Amino acid sequence: MALYSFWIFDRHCNCIFDREWTLKTNPSSGTTNSKLNEDTAKLLYGMVFSLRSISQKLGSKGSFNEIRTIATGKYRAHILCTASGLWFILLSDLGQEDLSQVLRYLYSEIYVKTVVYNWLSPVDFADSPNERRGQGFRKIRNRQFLLAVEKFLGPMVN
Amino acid sequence: MSASMSGNTASSSSSKKSLKAFSDDIWKNKTAKINAELFTLTYGSIVSQLCTDYERDFAKVNKQLYSMGYNIGVRLIEDFLARTALPRCDSLAKTSEVISKCAFKIFLNVTPQIGNWSSNKDSFSIFLDENPLSEFVELPMDAARELWYSNILCGVLKGALEMVQMDCDVYFASDVLKGDQTTELRVKLNKILKDEIPAGED
Repeated sequence: MALYSFWIFDRHCNCIFDREWTLKTNPSSGTTNSKLNEDTAKLLYGMVFSLRSISQKLGSKGSFNEIRTIATGKYRAHILCTASGLWFILLSDLGQEDLSQVLRYLYSEIYVKTVVYNWLSPVDFADSPNERRGQGFRKIRNRQFLLAVEKFLGPMVN
Repeated sequence: MSASMSGNTASSSSSKKSLKAFSDDIWKNKTAKINAELFTLTYGSIVSQLCTDYERDFAKVNKQLYSMGYNIGVRLIEDFLARTALPRCDSLAKTSEVISKCAFKIFLNVTPQIGNWSSNKDSFSIFLDENPLSEFVELPMDAARELWYSNILCGVLKGALEMVQMDCDVYFASDVLKGDQTTELRVKLNKILKDEIPAGED
């Protein structure tokens, strides 16, 4: 099993968290909330956004059709979109068929408990209208959140 | 029950029974219980403190309760979605059902009746036969005219619905505490907000 990276986007199209692992052998390698990943984040957002609109168009009217995974020749992206507009995305190797339970856990046990229940942390990461529509720069920096993510995903990195 | 399975149960075209069974299961198995009286009394102390702070200017108390509720609602919706894994509702009828059968059940263990639909189906009422917030409450004379004791609920609904892109007006139409026959919460949909798209894409 190998995880390559983990991303969270909010409903303002901003990347509010990114974690990229560079060495399979070392779960603490890589970057967290890196400026260098800004462009990658935008491209990833665009890819999911487009495929998501396609999947919803192709679904029969009225029923719900949310995208779950996208596979390429090298990796698989696992996606959880919540009704409130948050996207949780995990990139893994092709061996991983379904990480939806992992994404659910990240949302309900980690994000909800360390960000949403934490009243001193914002839940909306766009402070003003000109930080919306993908132009925001704020990230989740809660220590509890960062620790919990490392602890939970670390063992799955290689 | 796995999250993906429960997601399917809930989305399988809204048969009333399944949504109820689904909510009962979450209430029974996934929700920590607390003493209802402690909750009622805590809320009572908040309202009474606000009445003191605003020198019994009940219009201001209503407003403050509403904005406190709003702040709770925008967070509570994430908790709700994490627990239920429900997708967005495709109609207001579905929304009303989820609110009464699922949200009120999970958070307050009551299932209020929905009714009083407007002719164009853009507003409905929630009839709270039981209201855990006002269990032991009697309003004094001066408060009975203006104070909406449970106004925090309006704010919660407003905030939570806004986070799923529904811009609504939520207000109390009547309250048994004021001598009315029923406690009626009115929800009026103004518009469905558009999902944002990145700048430069439109």
